[in-house]
Amino acid sequence: MSVLLLRLAGPLQSWGSAARFTRRTTENAPTKSGVVGLLAAAQGRRRDADLSDLAALEFGVRIDQPGSRLRDFHTAHHSDTLKSMPLSERFYLADAVFVAGVSGEAGLVQRLYEALLEPVFLPYLGRRSCPPSRPVTIAEPSEGELEQALREARWEASGWYRDKRTASFRRRGQEAPDDVRLDLLLDSPADPDRLPDITLRDLPMSFDPRHRRYGLRGVRTTETRVPIEPGARPSSPPPPPHEPTSLLTPVTPRTD
Amino acid sequence: MNRTILDIHILQTVPPSNLNRDDTGTPKSATYGGVRRSRVSSQAWKRATREAFGELLDSSELGIRTKKVVEVLAERVMELDSSLPLAAAQALAAETITTATGSKVAVPGRKSKQDAEDPAPAESTYLMFLSNRQYAGLAAMTVEGGKGGDLQALKDYFKVKENKARAKQLVLTEHSVDIALFGRMVADSTDLNVDAAAQVAHALSVHAVEVESDYYTAVDDKNTDAETGAGMIGTVDFNSATLYRYAALDVNRLQENLGAGHDDARPVEPTRRAVAAFLEGFITSLPTGKINTFGNQTLPAAVIVKVRSRRPVSYVAAFEEPVAPSKGGGFLKGSCKRLAAFVPDLEASFGLSGGPEGWVLRVGKETEDLSGLGKAVNLPELLAEVGDAVAARLAPEPSENGGPDGGSSGAAPESGA
Repeated sequence: MSVLLLRLAGPLQSWGSAARFTRRTTENAPTKSGVVGLLAAAQGRRRDADLSDLAALEFGVRIDQPGSRLRDFHTAHHSDTLKSMPLSERFYLADAVFVAGVSGEAGLVQRLYEALLEPVFLPYLGRRSCPPSRPVTIAEPSEGELEQALREARWEASGWYRDKRTASFRRRGQEAPDDVRLDLLLDSPADPDRLPDITLRDLPMSFDPRHRRYGLRGVRTTETRVPIEPGARPSSPPPPPHEPTSLLTPVTPRTD
Repeated sequence: MNRTILDIHILQTVPPSNLNRDDTGTPKSATYGGVRRSRVSSQAWKRATREAFGELLDSSELGIRTKKVVEVLAERVMELDSSLPLAAAQALAAETITTATGSKVAVPGRKSKQDAEDPAPAESTYLMFLSNRQYAGLAAMTVEGGKGGDLQALKDYFKVKENKARAKQLVLTEHSVDIALFGRMVADSTDLNVDAAAQVAHALSVHAVEVESDYYTAVDDKNTDAETGAGMIGTVDFNSATLYRYAALDVNRLQENLGAGHDDARPVEPTRRAVAAFLEGFITSLPTGKINTFGNQTLPAAVIVKVRSRRPVSYVAAFEEPVAPSKGGGFLKGSCKRLAAFVPDLEASFGLSGGPEGWVLRVGKETEDLSGLGKAVNLPELLAEVGDAVAARLAPEPSENGGPDGGSSGAAPESGA
């Protein structure tokens, strides 16, 4: 099996799975349909093209920087009749970074990687108004298992996020550990004895705008610890725990 | 036919303003780099850009207009229904064009003397521009209404009010360019298959922003001494920001959506004009939210345009760490310094420094640092030069003997049904 890892980072992202009508929500992490759509678009597939080979890829995602949810209030008017359309809310994830991965037959995965280098349709993170802030590709595809690759990939979080994490340990008077705990969301194996932890309707069957169709996909959640590369940030010894009374001069109680 | 993508990066300062507000009346914001930024949504700036089009580009002067609309439409009809003979297809097409545009079509006098075996196609009485999308929509209606080349059936089909209205709607050419660029905000069934060529990001401030509030009182001019005080009170939220704006334009997609012109000597003319109109519209437009309250009519301080042949690149990550104000205040100088350092670094790291053409339009001393990122131009020069560069890249090269083309493309595009 060949594995392709993608870095999904940008000021805004939006990964809907049950987003319909005027309330367009987003999941907490990239969906399989979103990432498959990005790959299909990079290859130049039309919206009504066959997706079965991409839907069959194994998919997983690691949450490197969870970000925060942002609600966007959206008005629209019909361009011909100028009638106002229903008010809608669109949700985004702001400030998030993910590492997503797909694995499958080596030839297909290599073609997907090359397509991402020269995409036919411009890539975006779930919505057209969310361009990636860093290139989506990390490296050439490699041989191996998807889960292992996601567990071992470099931590992609931003500098400010690393600093904030270190600072929060220091405030408690601790040395920040040299690895970080990250959530992993993986395809659930088709095992009748093990129910998936989450079920999402994000298995793409057709992106045809006349009738989009998605199947159910079982997701299993786990976590991994990823080492923080030494030297990424200079570290000084943590300050001693805060003890406000240490600055007071003791006085003897007056006796007169 | 080279892969051509335009990246547009803009730094623009706005004084106290409320360009784009949410349902509570507060300027929109987003967290980026761990701090709160001012945000102007992509849909707000796209709307402003589209409004600007109206003044910049009349589709009738896309430079490519023709009287041979019937001929072109008949070809499209035959693609959909290959069983139709040419004459029948042309008769149907003539009927559709007449209904949709209200313009009479007729066989020009000097050609009508040709023999009946080879009828000359009718022509419209004036020059029209129809985009690819519009031809596709009209052809679909023609085939639907005139099954098997039955002209009477098509006439009856257009007697139905809805059908006639839909045909007329299809040729409202003022939208053809902006749908080619932006797709449809509100999809009609006829537009479902148009994918936007432009990608506009939400504009974000390069620095942390807090929302401020203006408390106002309004005096009732008819107040008497018996009843003094304000007629109404309230607050208006606002902020000021130095915004980073980004858009990417897929020029190949735009050409596909617009279609080639009918002037064989200048097949890329519609695309070239649309590119220039988009650039000018995007650079100079401003969402109109609360504009009369704040009068925040600014123009960009700096514009960088790059031509890319592989993938678009946003520079927003240069501002993930918020820019600190310069010693005397002001964010512009710091932002330009950031970009000047970040852009070469990013392009070198990702192998993009293979000399993409770039232009820089900048104002004032604060933006001097950007001068290394491209050729200095003013707005008219920028529009002309980008247009020329795009036209040169898209121009069909003289056919060679099966030589490989310049760009090695990755995955072969799957054919769209």
